[in-house]
Amino acid sequence: MKAIIAATIIGVIMMFASILSNNKSGIVSLATVLFFFLFGINIWEVYESINATGVAAPAYLNNMMSLDSFAIWFSMLMSGCALLYILLLGKEIAKVGKHVGEYFALIAFIMVGIYLLAGYSNMLMLFIGIEILSIPQYILAGSDKRNLKSTEASLKYFLMGSFSTGILLMGIAMLYGATGSFDIINFRMLQTDALNPLALSGILFLIIGLGFKVSAAPMHMWTPDVYDGSPTPFTAFMSTIVKAGVFVAFLRLFHASFGNLTNHWMMIVAVITATTLFIGNITAVFQQSVKRMLAYSSIAQAGFMLFAILSVNATAWQGIVIYAVAYSVATIGMFAVLIKLKDYTYDGFNGLAKKEPALAFFTTIFLMSLAGIPLTGGFMAKYFVLLAAVQQGQVMWLVIFALIMAAVSVYYYFKVIIAMYFKTGEAELNHEVTGYDKLMLGITCLLVILIGLMPQLLLNL
Amino acid sequence: MDLFEAIFWFLTAMAIGSALGVILSRNPINSVLFLIATFFAISGHYILMNAQFLAIVNIIVYAGAIMVLFLFVIMLMNLNADVEPQKSRLVQFAGIISGGILFLLILAALRDMKAAGVIEKTATDIGLMKNLGKTLFQNYVFPFEISSVLFLSAMIGAMVIGKKETLVIDKN
Repeated sequence: MKAIIAATIIGVIMMFASILSNNKSGIVSLATVLFFFLFGINIWEVYESINATGVAAPAYLNNMMSLDSFAIWFSMLMSGCALLYILLLGKEIAKVGKHVGEYFALIAFIMVGIYLLAGYSNMLMLFIGIEILSIPQYILAGSDKRNLKSTEASLKYFLMGSFSTGILLMGIAMLYGATGSFDIINFRMLQTDALNPLALSGILFLIIGLGFKVSAAPMHMWTPDVYDGSPTPFTAFMSTIVKAGVFVAFLRLFHASFGNLTNHWMMIVAVITATTLFIGNITAVFQQSVKRMLAYSSIAQAGFMLFAILSVNATAWQGIVIYAVAYSVATIGMFAVLIKLKDYTYDGFNGLAKKEPALAFFTTIFLMSLAGIPLTGGFMAKYFVLLAAVQQGQVMWLVIFALIMAAVSVYYYFKVIIAMYFKTGEAELNHEVTGYDKLMLGITCLLVILIGLMPQLLLNL
Repeated sequence: MDLFEAIFWFLTAMAIGSALGVILSRNPINSVLFLIATFFAISGHYILMNAQFLAIVNIIVYAGAIMVLFLFVIMLMNLNADVEPQKSRLVQFAGIISGGILFLLILAALRDMKAAGVIEKTATDIGLMKNLGKTLFQNYVFPFEISSVLFLSAMIGAMVIGKKETLVIDKN
């Protein structure tokens, strides 16, 4: 609760900061300090919830929110990722356009949405959380107004996002019709046999609506255009932290409410997972631009995260936390490298290892984590979500399929590494890589490896 | 058939008829006018369900404000001429098939809804303004307050998008 209030206030402060000051780097520094502060508040909340063991999770305001230890822990991790994001890409955000303070305000508001989604216990809060998450994203996607592609991305995202929100609302309304309640706990009363057809259609609509927000195929059509067209710093935010937030909402709803109805929705989600993995990985192979490849790879990674939804057990909850953090950290790092380059195609990476050996090394670590090579965070993340699916035991064919697809993903991630180390060329940089950049990228790299070596650090549940 | 039922069926026919008019009429202005008629019919349904506040808000906000905006946009962009590009037969056919399948599925799912014991809420006094206000500010005060964040971000968005910056066409 403290974090929600603090993030809202930070958003308002950033708005006023942009009225009072035109100094872009000053605003970036202020945002960095405020996000440190937000992370501190989150840690304070975690500390309080640890001390309050044995006490039932406080239910806020007529059961609108139930901030259990998972919700608070996950919020803390996401704040940490957002802090890392601002430290790495803060200066780049300032270069996108004129309204720097507003961009940070919108990011703070998105954090409010993520906190709501981590701990909601009422469908109304799910809806408001998703909207608070989406609307700032439509704006951030179109914030580079001098670029037609950015405007196109914003409009496409807005139109399709609004449509999918409509489907989500329809699902919520159908569930309300079936149970007479918005409380996700009350959905447990739905009978497993002879399920109310209204509730069944509601669940189907919710899968489609939430699947759109996490860019699961076949609701993924918007993803490449939006992620490719948006300004790169905001793509880094949208494809990582925001996606992880929606996944936790997805997980909470389908495990807490529909966990006993798995035979009704398991097959649908399994098919969606298989399609997402297939389309994401196979299409990524054929991309020429690394930014677009990362957009497709984000679809593919969503396919792996869907395994956590599929497997209704405790490992899935651990898996989603590790996956969210490992994937976010590596992808934010990768985008921080990408933004330094002038040319976003694979050829743009040619010979980077000779020119900037440190940068090339960090990129290699991030890409290895995304591909899921052992000793990196990505490996542990994939291990945990697939372990959850194996424990569930009903979707073994899907696990094998996912392993094949992970092998395919190695091809397009390593294409970048090969370009950096084994091809001759002159990789052009946008601007000098400063010592600060190297330090921050090094810390990000250390985090990726730390998660790979000790994933239990993230599991303080 | 008593008066209540007669009004109900009249409003239903009006809602469905004008909703079909929205998508079938070629002229966008006619579409908007049909949409206003749909909103009025739905507001009538709300009144039948004793939800007067919702009915009035529906008319003021949707039929009033939003539809005026729609008309403005259509007139400013001069869309009333029939300039919509014709879709190919194949696309039309695919659309009809997939839409029809969805319709059939939902119809099949909802056909035996009555038997499954759906909770039917009869008309109560909850839709009256006094009760609605009480519910809103007691049970649902948190969503009500937190939606201010949503509106704030939408306002920032309008400002960020609306302010003028010079357009340079991107090279790639």
